[in-house]
Amino acid sequence: MTGNFWKYVKHHGQPFIGLVLILVLGTMLSPRATDGTIVFLEPGNLTDVLLQQSEVGIIALAMTFVIIGAGIDLSVGSVLAFSACVSALMLMVWNPHGPTVLQIGVAVAASLIGGALVGVLNGLVITRIHLQPFVMTLATMIGVRGFTKWLTGNVNVDLGFGAIPSGQFAEVVSSKPFAISLWIALAIIAHLILVRTVYGRYLRAIGENARAAAYTGLPVRGVRLATYIGCGALAALAGLIHAARSHQGNPNDGVGYELDAIAAVVIGGTALAGGRGSIVGTVTGTLVLGLLTNVLRLHMVDSNLELMIKAVIIIAAVWLQHSGRGVRDDL
Amino acid sequence: MLECRNIHKHYGGIVALKKVNWKLLPGEVHALCGENGAGKSTLARILCGITMPDEGEILLEGHPVAWTGSQTARQAGLGIIPQELDLFAHLSVAENLAIGNTRLETSAWVSPRALHDAARPLLRDVGLDLDPAWPLDRLSVSQWQLVAIARALGLDAKIIFMDEPTSALTDDAVERLFGLIRRLKERGVTIVYVSHKMNEIFRICDRVSVMRDGEMIGTDACAATSIDRVIQQMVGRAVATIRREKVSMADETLLEVRAVSTRKLRAVSFTLRRGEVLGVAGLVGSGRSEVGRALFGLSPITGGAMTLEGRGYQPLSPHDAVAHGVALVPEDRQREGLISGMGIRQNVTLASIGKYSRASWIDRDEEAVASTDALAKCRTRFADQELPVRSLSGGNQQKVLIGKWLLTHPKICFFDDPTRGIDIGAKDDIYRLVGELAGKGLGVIWVSSELPELLANAHRILVLHEGRCVGIIDAATATQEDIMRLATGHHVPLS
Repeated sequence: MTGNFWKYVKHHGQPFIGLVLILVLGTMLSPRATDGTIVFLEPGNLTDVLLQQSEVGIIALAMTFVIIGAGIDLSVGSVLAFSACVSALMLMVWNPHGPTVLQIGVAVAASLIGGALVGVLNGLVITRIHLQPFVMTLATMIGVRGFTKWLTGNVNVDLGFGAIPSGQFAEVVSSKPFAISLWIALAIIAHLILVRTVYGRYLRAIGENARAAAYTGLPVRGVRLATYIGCGALAALAGLIHAARSHQGNPNDGVGYELDAIAAVVIGGTALAGGRGSIVGTVTGTLVLGLLTNVLRLHMVDSNLELMIKAVIIIAAVWLQHSGRGVRDDL
Repeated sequence: MLECRNIHKHYGGIVALKKVNWKLLPGEVHALCGENGAGKSTLARILCGITMPDEGEILLEGHPVAWTGSQTARQAGLGIIPQELDLFAHLSVAENLAIGNTRLETSAWVSPRALHDAARPLLRDVGLDLDPAWPLDRLSVSQWQLVAIARALGLDAKIIFMDEPTSALTDDAVERLFGLIRRLKERGVTIVYVSHKMNEIFRICDRVSVMRDGEMIGTDACAATSIDRVIQQMVGRAVATIRREKVSMADETLLEVRAVSTRKLRAVSFTLRRGEVLGVAGLVGSGRSEVGRALFGLSPITGGAMTLEGRGYQPLSPHDAVAHGVALVPEDRQREGLISGMGIRQNVTLASIGKYSRASWIDRDEEAVASTDALAKCRTRFADQELPVRSLSGGNQQKVLIGKWLLTHPKICFFDDPTRGIDIGAKDDIYRLVGELAGKGLGVIWVSSELPELLANAHRILVLHEGRCVGIIDAATATQEDIMRLATGHHVPLS
């Protein structure tokens, strides 16, 4: 058992090193409260980080699948805003005079289906018309953003407070237990799909060598299509959390989320070329980024400097993984 | 003119050229023949400075020369028209003609008009009537080849190597090319004509040299030799054909292919019986691999029909073909067969993983049992099934691919040159394995470049020439010469 553990650490341990490093650094550099406790390690602070990162964290899970399949999805930030606005509109503007649960359920379902449909569009165009994933999802990133702005008249849709459906939705979904456990549960499911199911096996084969996978008779298009649908749906789910946390549907939110998600995936050791990657790595990558922000904010470090430090972290993390493998694919 | 002495070249453990001595005369058209892998292309590449020989010397007009790259050879007047066209698809015709041509690229600033003016006479020479400003990817394959020839002309080469120049040309383009060759000859240009096509060689060449297994077998004047003799030299008479004990095949027809055409096949018909090993012979570009691609749903079928076990069979994709019990071991293991970074086990079970899973959830124990079994049946040697498959030798990689299909229990297995580039021991294992598969009632179709291998292992041999089936012969009585005669397009039976 311990042998297995060390074997696991050896194979998948690299992202953990970054995580441990950030935790140690954070502990050492953390400001102290008046009673001497380390602010960084307080449960309230650490769960704040988890809640903050849950949106990007959930998107990054789906992004891991897309990237392992040798694709990319730039539309997730726009889908997040789209979902936040659709759910807010349905909770505030639409009044079915039914039970609260029904109204919330319909609003949630509509957002998720909307996100999944963007994924269907991305996936179909990429697998059938063979547009490059970058180009297609760049187009949907722009288009979905425009659609969301048109839908809301480019104004924020505020959620209500109290016993009305929108107020209850916001209270539950933005709560730490809900958002964090949802993220953890999805991460476990994603991990199991990737390593223990036929789908995960096919995805890794297709991502590494699509031609050989096709020559083996694998359903290459279907597997790739599913990654984009999943990515659209999970981006929409993150949008629901976003709406609840910000208490509004803002059509201009979520800009740059796609790059945060990709950064988390890449720090986690998933190869942009496809075929290789792990959910454990992605979760770690998300946490590294979140904890880093947290440590710096506790010290009131200028947010511009924070971005520069993040840049260094991304380069360093990927470079470490390259040198660790000891193999260079290029010349 | 050009002479080479004792040229020796090996790649890893494989000797590509053995002490080759060869001489070219000024203004002659000299054919260079040999089976696939005989060393023709390697020799051409060495003479043109693209590849460096291990030993030996090259003399140009009596003076020893040492090429330090294709540029120096080009400056000395040697041009090669390669088999695999190294042209640039997104550049214009004129730009392609100018690249690497110091006469046209005189300064860093290139005027398009000057380029076009320089390109037009070259294009006229090869009989191409098109706008030099066109990007190359708007051209047909045949036109590409003519542009490649024009490029060699633009270099004012004194010696031009043409490696299978007519493989992609239409009939009238071939006639124009022959006219051009005659004109070049009158100008004193020496042409080395590498080809498999006997009829062409005897039409336009003055002398013919034959290579076999990296050795220069002999050079004769075309007038003093015959197609028959050249073919005998190519295959070598000394090789005694070993014939393996073959499992007798059943009478039941498994697959029937009736007049099937694709982009590269023209009305090919054959039947495959249960338990039969059907060999497929043909030169590169004859459509050997295309038979498998059509059968496996990779090439759209434009005409004809297939029946599998009496029912109509029209595969739309490899996925579809696999579902019908058809398997294909591709020619290019790395690009088309293996997921090289994945483990050996995952590669072996990739096509059949659905069987070892419930509701998509993989049963790892069942998977391990299946992969261990398949790897053992194929006599694969490995250290750990978890290691990436790229850590294996070529022969063992091939066995992993065969094992992958064994687990799907196919009805038909198409092997595309399965023993290419693998060691003798692994070859022997694969021969035995194919025999066993046929013994179990599978239909095996086996493409090979090695005729002795087909004669030894196949029941019948289908011979292709330029996409057509030119004969199906009984392997028990056929000789290598029979096959080669058919494969080179020389249909008339010789006594």
